[in-house]
Amino acid sequence: MVEAHKKAPSEDLRLDIGEVLITEDEIRAKVRELGGRISADYAAKSVTLVSVLKGSLPFMADLMRAISIPVQIDLMEVSSYGGATTESSGLVRILKDLSSSIAGRDVLIVEDIIDTGLTLNYLLRYLRGKNPASLRICALLDKPARRLVEIPIDYTGFTIPDEFVVGYGLDFGEIYRNLPFIGVLRPELYQTS
Amino acid sequence: MTDQARFAHASEAELARILDYYGVRWEYEPRTFPIMWSLDGKVVESFSPDFYLPDLSVYVELTTLKQSLVRRKNRKLRRLRELYPDIRVKLFYGKDFRALMLKYGRFDLAASLSGLEGQVAADRANAQPRLSVVVHASAATEASGAIRMASGTIERTDDEPDDERVASGARAAPRVSRGSRRRRGRRVFQAAHATGGDY
Repeated sequence: MVEAHKKAPSEDLRLDIGEVLITEDEIRAKVRELGGRISADYAAKSVTLVSVLKGSLPFMADLMRAISIPVQIDLMEVSSYGGATTESSGLVRILKDLSSSIAGRDVLIVEDIIDTGLTLNYLLRYLRGKNPASLRICALLDKPARRLVEIPIDYTGFTIPDEFVVGYGLDFGEIYRNLPFIGVLRPELYQTS
Repeated sequence: MTDQARFAHASEAELARILDYYGVRWEYEPRTFPIMWSLDGKVVESFSPDFYLPDLSVYVELTTLKQSLVRRKNRKLRRLRELYPDIRVKLFYGKDFRALMLKYGRFDLAASLSGLEGQVAADRANAQPRLSVVVHASAATEASGAIRMASGTIERTDDEPDDERVASGARAAPRVSRGSRRRRGRRVFQAAHATGGDY
């Protein structure tokens, strides 16, 4: 019998972090930089930020406040492989669709992390079908070692090594999203027996 | 053309399910690339990437062996890239795949798809309903070109601990049986222990 976790999460989640990969200050500075670049690139326009729930929520909240031009925001959520919906349909599903039309609008997808690129590849195909004027990608973290689908990322925060990272929206079993930094989870928390 | 795939390894079956889930079309081992020839021109070594993703023009090779045992596969991949510079191949290591399974909450597979256990798990994969494969006519043509180029004898040159095989004159080349693979795997396992390997 395989156990999901060898060790339960600590009451103080910080104790479960083996190494802080990106500090709060580094995240703050990077988000400010990305916001500045996006504001300059979309100058005299407005941009619709589309955040992909749930992991990108903190990044979206900070990024939109670092952008000086008019922005609209929208949220999407797609099912993930291995989740509750996998067995029923066998196909990815849109759990939460856009609230407004993006036809003719400049759209920027805001992602927390890109590893395999499978989810983003699906989203790109889906959103292109809604005829935006432009469609770009902003990802806080890029983990190229795991990439299956090569996707050009227009705005990248940090390129990270192939480590199991949590915090600042990133979870393991829906936990650790609330950590204000990005850290490497201690292996005993996820290694299976 | 729709065909039925028979996967050599549980990790391959799982990757096929993942690709299906995200709507990425794939073909299973559609092409064998000769990478070494004897002096009389016979193909003595070749490489058959596990998947081809036609929409992305990339081959994907999975290996669930321990990192310390993938050196030979890396060498073959380097050779492939030298001989076929226009071919894009992504090698997905065991640690990458296990991390992917953890990400998707597949803790059982993350545990069972490691090293030799992954080889044994192939029985389970083949017992499951087979997945359909979409094959492009162009890919089939490309593959047949490779077959013509590779026409030679069936010959194994070493005890490879994975699912690579020497090119034959046809796509339906006799595959090394899973039992043979397990025996080879056991030899690798024993060798690793004998030399104090990390297994």
